[in-house]
Amino acid sequence: MNFITCLYAFGGSLAFAILMNIPKNKLVLAAFGGFIAQFTFILGHLYFDSTVISCFLATLSLAFYSEVMARQTASPATIYLVVSLIPLVPGSSIYYTMLYFVQGDTQTGIETGLYTLAIAGALSMGIIIVSSTSKLIHRINQKRNTSQVK
Amino acid sequence: MTLSEIGHIAMEMGTLLLSSGAETYRVEESISRVCLSLGVKEAEIFVIPSTIIIYLRKSGDEAITRTRRIHHRAIDLTTVDQINDLSRRLGREKLSYLEIIKEIETIRAIPEYPLFLQIFSTGFAAFMFALFFNATIKNSLFAFMIGIMIDLQIRYMAKFETNRFFMTVIAGMLISTVAVVVTLLGFTDSFNTIIIGSIMPLVPGLAITQSLRDVIAGDYLAGITKGLEACLIAAAIAIGIAIPISFFHSILGVII
Repeated sequence: MNFITCLYAFGGSLAFAILMNIPKNKLVLAAFGGFIAQFTFILGHLYFDSTVISCFLATLSLAFYSEVMARQTASPATIYLVVSLIPLVPGSSIYYTMLYFVQGDTQTGIETGLYTLAIAGALSMGIIIVSSTSKLIHRINQKRNTSQVK
Repeated sequence: MTLSEIGHIAMEMGTLLLSSGAETYRVEESISRVCLSLGVKEAEIFVIPSTIIIYLRKSGDEAITRTRRIHHRAIDLTTVDQINDLSRRLGREKLSYLEIIKEIETIRAIPEYPLFLQIFSTGFAAFMFALFFNATIKNSLFAFMIGIMIDLQIRYMAKFETNRFFMTVIAGMLISTVAVVVTLLGFTDSFNTIIIGSIMPLVPGLAITQSLRDVIAGDYLAGITKGLEACLIAAAIAIGIAIPISFFHSILGVII
């Protein structure tokens, strides 16, 4: 695993940020999420021997980054989330799944397909955990503030 | 402000949000926040990815129901950001009907990034992700060219309102045809990384994320719709790429 891929992830995310028409002043911030995602992914891979777990950790960190940036810049978390998630999307596994099926290697194809689904599942779990937690914290703070006013 | 004016504002904002790719729960939240801050007693909002239905009641039995069908959806997160901002501002400031309509028109008129930059970005995304997946510089440059090509192709087909599934299949076929032909002509020795880099601009990242967020918010109907869209596009990419590859595989007997 090579740390230069973090820079590629940043560049790719930046291009996606432009394609999704993200406001000019938030372009770099959003693309930096892609950098963080790939960086965490590589770090995770150093300690765990599983791509799925590394993907899960990377999603946790990028979702956390998105929520923090959303509060800081007063914009929806989606703006950051959508862009920084792109480097983790299992594009290459989708391709290899298809390739194995075309080559008639159904066994390996199914295996790779299940692996793709596992990564997609890890991404979803990461996002679900962080956004639900942040919503919960937000609600608790809101409630505390209103009860103080009363 | 009369009830029908409030209804108009709410509908305009909701339509802009939904047609720019916002999650349905965000549309519902924003509309109801706006209506309540404009002095409506009761606001029932129902949004699915293709329709908005609102019911507003002010005082007594004065009530209106409005509905709108969304035909065209594109990704424009600047609009989502700005409308979200406006809906929060309406809770703090008092603006008149005409002022709010003017604000909405300003947001609608915010220009996108220039066309050449968008086309270049598609190529650049393909280039970067080819490098990301361990391609050589030469292969990545091929991915860059293919990226620009599919961007032009999708733009051209979108002019004739072709459906997204078909456009993606054609894009996939273009990608793998060019990649395989370039390899057969001997410019590179492997087309795998070229193809993987080039399909990244087609990957339904927004649909995946939004469908998840809708499901978390308890909007299962919207979540399923967007999730199905994501699965369909992923399938379209795979089908489009598989057709030329299996053609070369069986007709020419090329080992791949």
